[in-house]
Amino acid sequence: MITAAINHSHDRRQHEKVYLHPLPVRLWHWLNALGFVLLIVTGFQIRYVDLLGLMSFESAVTLHNWVGFAVIANWFLWFVYYLFSEQVTNYHPDLDPKAFFQRYFRQAGYYSWGYFQGEERPHKVQPKDKFNPMQKLTYQFVMFISAPVTFLTGLMMWDVQRFAGLIDMVGGIRVVNTVHVLMFILFVMFIFVHAYMGFLGAKPSSHFKEMFTGYEEEHD
Amino acid sequence: MKILTTLGSLLLALAVLAAMPGTAMAQQAETDPDAKCLKCHSKKLKKKLEDGETMFLQISGEDFGQSVHQVIGCTGCHRDVAKGKHPSREPIASRRDYSLKHNETCSQCHAAKSTAYEGSVHASMVAEGNGDAPVCSDCHSSHSIQQRSVYEPVSGEPCSGCHEPIYEAYAASVHGQAREHGNVIREAHVQAPICADCHRAHDVSAVAATNYLRDTCLDCHDGAAVAHEEWLPNAGMHLSSVACAACHSPMAERRVDLQLYDKLTQVPVGQAAGDDTFATRVGEVDRTGDGLDPVELWKLVRTTSRDGNGADVTLRGRMEVTTGIEAHRLAPRAEAVRSCESCHQGGADAFQNVTVSISAPDGRKQRFAADKKVLNSVVSVDSVGDFYAPGGTRIRMLDGLLVLALVGGMAVPVGHIALGKYLRKKSRKD
Repeated sequence: MITAAINHSHDRRQHEKVYLHPLPVRLWHWLNALGFVLLIVTGFQIRYVDLLGLMSFESAVTLHNWVGFAVIANWFLWFVYYLFSEQVTNYHPDLDPKAFFQRYFRQAGYYSWGYFQGEERPHKVQPKDKFNPMQKLTYQFVMFISAPVTFLTGLMMWDVQRFAGLIDMVGGIRVVNTVHVLMFILFVMFIFVHAYMGFLGAKPSSHFKEMFTGYEEEHD
Repeated sequence: MKILTTLGSLLLALAVLAAMPGTAMAQQAETDPDAKCLKCHSKKLKKKLEDGETMFLQISGEDFGQSVHQVIGCTGCHRDVAKGKHPSREPIASRRDYSLKHNETCSQCHAAKSTAYEGSVHASMVAEGNGDAPVCSDCHSSHSIQQRSVYEPVSGEPCSGCHEPIYEAYAASVHGQAREHGNVIREAHVQAPICADCHRAHDVSAVAATNYLRDTCLDCHDGAAVAHEEWLPNAGMHLSSVACAACHSPMAERRVDLQLYDKLTQVPVGQAAGDDTFATRVGEVDRTGDGLDPVELWKLVRTTSRDGNGADVTLRGRMEVTTGIEAHRLAPRAEAVRSCESCHQGGADAFQNVTVSISAPDGRKQRFAADKKVLNSVVSVDSVGDFYAPGGTRIRMLDGLLVLALVGGMAVPVGHIALGKYLRKKSRKD
């Protein structure tokens, strides 16, 4: 009798699971993660040959270029999918900045206090509104500013002569490199924080499972 | 010395006459004007010059007889000598002065060559009053002017007279050795270059200022551009901003020369020879004279630009070897620098020497020392905008930011976990 009740409860919860991350998004995410890690590692190798000896400079540049193109292509997979998906609302800007930032700081407060007290999450995750305000602002910046800027500056350095006019327009190759490296620094920081935040789900493994199955994991 | 023989062509005829039986000589002297000249100039004539030097006027008839100018005779060049008119009593200031006058004589027949010479670095130096700068007769001699084929063997190079250390480096190089051993490299017959093939014979220019020399290399090594593209990222850019010798003269000491370029016209900022405006400007920003530091270089670029904010000029870097001698020590291909790491790493030797330069119209550069920090300073993002070698000239401040990002990135999880522990501990106590 007790067992039947537990099974019934379990089934009900199964049915309530929300499909948050469609296959194209999950595919893009993990390819992107792999690409980011490879780009960061080869980026470190290119910039610090004198400190790091994972591979030769030549191999690092070749790998960095190939992975770079793959990540650019992957970005377009993400962009086209969201453009024609109902989930595009996840990236829509908030038209009421004051209310948005109130929710933003409420979320920050939750992570620094409520999370440890077992309080309810201030943001209810739904397929069309799956990012909390902190995530939303970060992902908007990463996907619409950091990534395209990194791609463009990377392309310019990949073939300096082909993009000579553009390089000249933005102030020279050193400006291009500096912007590329600043983005690289931001991504290094992002990767650390993003990976850590992945553990802050209902259970430490919840968000990771979600990114594989697509379904939201239960909150306690 | 060449001047000694300038009038000597006259003596050639005399020498020829002297070797003939009396009657025949007398007959030839009647019909051959050169013989008339040599009648006197085969003897040890000399003339006192206004500078106190003595100019010998004896001409070797044999040499002149074998010269390509033998057909035009003495008066072909010495047009101021005619029947009843001989300039022997006219004063000559100096040998150099006499040579310079006869340089103009050459141009009357060799107009195209003379025009080419006028644009050369040699002519510029002559115009500046450099007494060692060559005029026509210094390379071609006065009366023993030979056909071009005479210069073809390595030993026939007149350039070695002034540029001996460079010539010796060349003679030992892959080019010089090929030339000496029958133009054979790796069992293939080639036409290895002599000096004029790369530097041009008459419009000799200072090759470092432009891509002229690179293009000359590629004229012969026509597969080189494609061969570099097969393995070298940004091969075209490397071929443009790294001198061939920087890799192909593997033992050479290298440096980065930051050359001022006009952004609008895309040509080097020029300054007439002898114009000290830029040097004065350098002196004003680098008052201690210890080489331009990043801020001083930034100021220099701004003050050099027309608009005063540096928007229309930039510094383009070029990796080159430090001396002309080393530039000529070209090694066989297998010995060339192939490792990217030789430049693309912090503290690479190639970035320890830095100069800032401005070009004269003849291509010569005026160079000024700069602190090597100009390649790694954040200030140089603006002033040295057009030169960057990944890894090698990285901006130190960005390294600091990256360390902060790493520390900050790790501090977020560590801090958050620590905060959680603290709060839980606190709530347990409460």
